[in-house]
Amino acid sequence: MPAIVEVRGAVKDYPLGKLKVRALEDVSLSIEKGEFTVIAGPSGSGKTTLLNLIGCVDVPTAGEVIVDGQATSRLSDRQLTKLRLHSIGFIFQSFNLVNVLDVYQNVELPLLLQGKLGAAERHQRVKALIERVGIGEHLHHRPNELSGGQRQRVAIARALVTRPALVLADEPTANLDSVTGASILDLMRELNEAEQTTFLFSTHDHAVMQRARRIVRMLDGKLAES
Amino acid sequence: MRILALIAFRNLVQARTRTTLLGTAIALVMAMLVLLLSLAGGIEDNLVFSATMLSSGHVTVAGFHKSKPTDAAPLVTEAAALRKVLEANTPGLDYLVERQRGWAKVISPQGTVQSGLSGIDPVAEWRLRDSLHLAAESDYVDGGSDEVRGTLETLGQPGGLMLFANQAKKLHARVGDTITIQTETQGGQTNTIDLQVTAVARDVGLLSTFATFMSDQDVRTLYQLNEDTTGAFWLYLKDIDRSEETMNHLRTVLEKEGYVVMDHVPAPFFFKFDTVSGEDWVGQRIDLTTWEDEVSFLTWILTAFDTLTWMMSVILLAIIAVGIMNALYNAVRERTRELGTLRAIGMTRRQVLALVLLEALLLGLMATGVGAVIGSGVALTLDAMAIDPGLDALRIILLADQLHLVVRPLAVGSAIVLLTLLTGVAALWPAFRAARLKPVTAMQHAE
Repeated sequence: MPAIVEVRGAVKDYPLGKLKVRALEDVSLSIEKGEFTVIAGPSGSGKTTLLNLIGCVDVPTAGEVIVDGQATSRLSDRQLTKLRLHSIGFIFQSFNLVNVLDVYQNVELPLLLQGKLGAAERHQRVKALIERVGIGEHLHHRPNELSGGQRQRVAIARALVTRPALVLADEPTANLDSVTGASILDLMRELNEAEQTTFLFSTHDHAVMQRARRIVRMLDGKLAES
Repeated sequence: MRILALIAFRNLVQARTRTTLLGTAIALVMAMLVLLLSLAGGIEDNLVFSATMLSSGHVTVAGFHKSKPTDAAPLVTEAAALRKVLEANTPGLDYLVERQRGWAKVISPQGTVQSGLSGIDPVAEWRLRDSLHLAAESDYVDGGSDEVRGTLETLGQPGGLMLFANQAKKLHARVGDTITIQTETQGGQTNTIDLQVTAVARDVGLLSTFATFMSDQDVRTLYQLNEDTTGAFWLYLKDIDRSEETMNHLRTVLEKEGYVVMDHVPAPFFFKFDTVSGEDWVGQRIDLTTWEDEVSFLTWILTAFDTLTWMMSVILLAIIAVGIMNALYNAVRERTRELGTLRAIGMTRRQVLALVLLEALLLGLMATGVGAVIGSGVALTLDAMAIDPGLDALRIILLADQLHLVVRPLAVGSAIVLLTLLTGVAALWPAFRAARLKPVTAMQHAE
């Protein structure tokens, strides 16, 4: 299978006052299409930083990150935005839904930003995906009217609605109870198998790691096991 | 754009307290601006009304006749021929009247005032009668009754005189009293005529301080004018906004007809005496002016009022703009994670900028809309109440003895657009700040 993500010798430094803190050091990693991979490690190990680089919301200080065939450090802000919109779906630990929009509108948002689909096709796709993640009866509820698990399902639907090549999930079950967390993981696994969408998680939860097909371990900003 | 507008609108609804406070402030400024603009509109309305009743037509065709170079008689000779030319060549002419003009000492047993004389033809000037209103006796007689005395039906009949209330008060004159009019002819001869007060009309602002109506025949007698000499032709058009265009057209027509036409000077005829008497020519020259030219000495009131209105509005708006900037800056700070998320899922910087600006513009539009309704409502109510301003100084500024406000949709619409745009301008800095946010912020917030 071809690689959807290539990380080559990635280094990331953050300024901290007059000091420079190295969050990632010489990380190299390849993720193939269709993988269901977990980046595991304790807090501060650099897994979120690595996800940020792969998710094109940040660029490496040194080294190279290639997503869907494009080297991110050579792209402009506009090109990075376009890459995120068309190739990457995001699932956040705290769901990060737009509170003033209802479930349907939250899921529809990336499609509206893309502007590729007509109203009828867009409606069909959004509705089908909301049904698929099991919150069809909450179509017009706002996020604050939903439970944590339901919100994360909305976030999953939003991440998948554009049919991205890659879905990144930063600690997706951290704010959920174990039963809800397990059902969310089952759902993502199911979608991965059915749609061949690549999923890449960060977690320090062993229950999550057990469901992964591949585990990448990080420690102190370095890859400990790939 | 639909989704951006929806997010912007719902953000406003969500931040109810902030929206209400800012919206109220913007609405109050808007209401005040509409009120002041309506007052300015009322003053302008009063000016047009009183000017075209007392000082000029929409276009005035007059002139000066000089029998020797030092003369400056504000007269038009061979008036009948000129009248024919005007009637045949004035596009959009509604009607035309002749006014005999003069300046006189108006004398009663108990007082004297200086006033302009308007000699009118009672048959041609029926519209003037309809525009004037008799004053209650209490308006000009201390302890007088609220009844009106006299009649406007005889306005312009020989032997009769119509005063305005302010003049009657100064002269201690009542309907039925005999008043002496004393004038001086071009030749330096003093003539007098005794006339009976047949009516006392309600004041129509500052201009009515210097206007007294009588018969055109009596003015001719006073100034010893022949039948083919007149003071001025006042031309009333179907559309007052075409005054200047019509004046320019007539200028060309009259020149072609062989009349000598004076250079256009946008001032009333009585400002031109010195210039004309200093010029080295004799005979007849025609002068054309618009109603605005004839009351140009009063436009300072409108200019001053407009300046004051906009100055006050700008100061208040500057205060409001700081409030908007601060509130939106805080809103952007509070919504950093949401804005970062939007950037992460593919919203461009330009779309984020538009989102924040839309929020401000929507707030501005709604608040100015509410302010416009409030301001217009108050203005219309005040106008309907026909309040007497009480002070003579205010009557001079308002150009009327009653508060008159006119709500002009175009002015209100322009104010809405302007204030809404200013709200948008005030939001530029927070909007740029929001657009500059790095999407990584959202992920950091999630950790």
